[in-house]
Amino acid sequence: MKLRRIMVAAVALAALTTSGCSGILSGGGSGGGSDKGPITLAAVIPTSGSSAPTGTYMENGMKMAIDEINAKGGVLDGRKLKLDVEDGACDPTQAAAAANKAVSNGAVVSVGGYCSGATLPTLPIFNSAGIPMIIPAANSEDLVTQKLPNVFLINGTGVQQAAAALKFMKKDGVASVALVDDNTSYSKDITAETKKDAEADGSVKVALATSVTAGESDYSSVVNQIMSVKPDMLYWTGYYQEGGLIINQLKAAGYTGKIMVADGSVDPSLVKIAGGTNADGVFATMTQTPDTIKGAESWIADYKKKFGSDPGPYSTQSYDAVKLAAHAITEAKSTKGADITKALEAVDGFKLFSGPLKFTPEHTLSNGGFQILVVKDGKFVLQDALS
Amino acid sequence: MTQLIWNGLFVGSFYALIALGYSMVYGIIKLLNFAHGDIYMLGAFIGFTVLSSFGGITASMSIISLLFVLIISMLLSGAAGVAIERIAYRPLRNSPRLAVLITAVGASFTLEYGVSAIAGPNPRVFPVRLGGNSFDFLGARLSVPQVILMAIAVVLMLGLNMYVQRTSRGRAMRAIALDPKGALLMGINVNAVITWTFFIGSALAGAAGVMAGAYYGKIDFLMGFIIGLKAFTAAVIGGIGNIKGAMLGGLLLGLLEAFGSQVFGGQWRDVFTFAVLILFLTLKPTGLLGERVTERV
Repeated sequence: MKLRRIMVAAVALAALTTSGCSGILSGGGSGGGSDKGPITLAAVIPTSGSSAPTGTYMENGMKMAIDEINAKGGVLDGRKLKLDVEDGACDPTQAAAAANKAVSNGAVVSVGGYCSGATLPTLPIFNSAGIPMIIPAANSEDLVTQKLPNVFLINGTGVQQAAAALKFMKKDGVASVALVDDNTSYSKDITAETKKDAEADGSVKVALATSVTAGESDYSSVVNQIMSVKPDMLYWTGYYQEGGLIINQLKAAGYTGKIMVADGSVDPSLVKIAGGTNADGVFATMTQTPDTIKGAESWIADYKKKFGSDPGPYSTQSYDAVKLAAHAITEAKSTKGADITKALEAVDGFKLFSGPLKFTPEHTLSNGGFQILVVKDGKFVLQDALS
Repeated sequence: MTQLIWNGLFVGSFYALIALGYSMVYGIIKLLNFAHGDIYMLGAFIGFTVLSSFGGITASMSIISLLFVLIISMLLSGAAGVAIERIAYRPLRNSPRLAVLITAVGASFTLEYGVSAIAGPNPRVFPVRLGGNSFDFLGARLSVPQVILMAIAVVLMLGLNMYVQRTSRGRAMRAIALDPKGALLMGINVNAVITWTFFIGSALAGAAGVMAGAYYGKIDFLMGFIIGLKAFTAAVIGGIGNIKGAMLGGLLLGLLEAFGSQVFGGQWRDVFTFAVLILFLTLKPTGLLGERVTERV
């Protein structure tokens, strides 16, 4: 799977460069959109594939914000907002195509982006079309290091997640930790940062840092390595499928230490794959989910009334992305990309679920808002807000 | 140490079951059946469907119901293998090798995304998970289900070996492997034997799929890709086309992985494993047991 992904990514990049050179990309750096009629917000998110459930949460959150704003009369003297959802399927090639489609549909601001790997190839597309991006979920360092002026991240980054992980380890009295990732950029990001932080800090010993291959079933070799170093805690930074299997196989091998997972593993399926009560007591580093935010009860009730189901991960961030986009358009008094970008940079104290917003010079949150969840009776609940 | 050996042998027996299908098919029609790993995936999904449709009764009698589901899944995935051969490979029997190879890749994608379209792209959790006590044996920690699955794998492999060595159909397979034209002239129904070979190979892969589903608990539509590559590696190490070689190669690959990740670290395991594949291909392309041409199937 990974091999294919890499090939696909390479092809996507090649396609990007060629189409960029020959000027197929519409917009051509002007950005903007028309002066009348609805203002289009584009969202490249997965609505098919294995991440489709999260895509639905995100889409619902965005719809909710748009309906609220339109009910109050829209922005810029009564212009309504319109949402254009394009399926990126968590796949670099599809996401690039979806972004091109969104640009030609006249997007003014992009409010999508879930899988970091699929969001990465959309950055140059929106950038060359002069469209500002507010990324609600994707959070790889790779998105930040591009240093594109139009890209803003409103989810905590890998660096912030690693810092939160270390903070909790120290608080919880963990003396040695095993770091295991799945060799993807997002996952390796977090283990590398955690290792660096832990070594600089000196209070938590990194007993083991290793990687596994995603997409396999048998993780007995990594289980064996963990058992032989006997760490106080295992920190797994990959996704939930492998995470569930590793938890299951660790417990079968008689592991009694603590386990913590990163935000890619926060999914009800982790508990199911781990089997029985194996996942009980597993910690997770995670940004706010609707049920861990204080004072979000009325928001959750509205969501339920509207969509007939509970909100899930990233529905609040997606809601925030749309609200922030509308705020920036209003402040800029314009639908021109450059004006909106300036307005976004100037935002100070705009209220998000994660707290008042002010972007750092890198266009990331000044406070990542990571907190610690724990699995209790098969569900992720808040353990420690780390504040 | 004994733990490493046991882990290696356990994973290796899965590789071996799948490698057998690669090896048998290659031995007879010189085709690398890249859809073979996906038959393993298909077997797991068939097992999942059968188990789910029986609902309540399974939880109490997990081993017996597993055997029952195992047999159904073997029959159905065997049939799927036969269908693929009939539809995708037989019309191309006399085409250039490359055409058949590409068709095999096509069959692989068809199976993967067909299952994804029908069963959905999300991973499924097996309704029955083999539970059981663990016990210590010579310093290694074994669990009852591991021992049972290993026993099933060994029985299947020994049975296959007996079949190929002792029965007339087995003799026909070996004859075709040596000389298809000659076998045809001697009155062997070559097409029937090839069909039968696909059936056996696919049934074994299907069995491995069900066993993996029941033991590891999670199945998804891409689960056959990596293990298919590994099984191919195992077949090459053992000497592709050779039945005993495939078994030996599978177990050896499992051991190589276990020791490789212990010595070099987990992130180097696949580098190490596939470096061994390259070494074998360059230094001894016939594999460990590949020279004994008379034994080929």
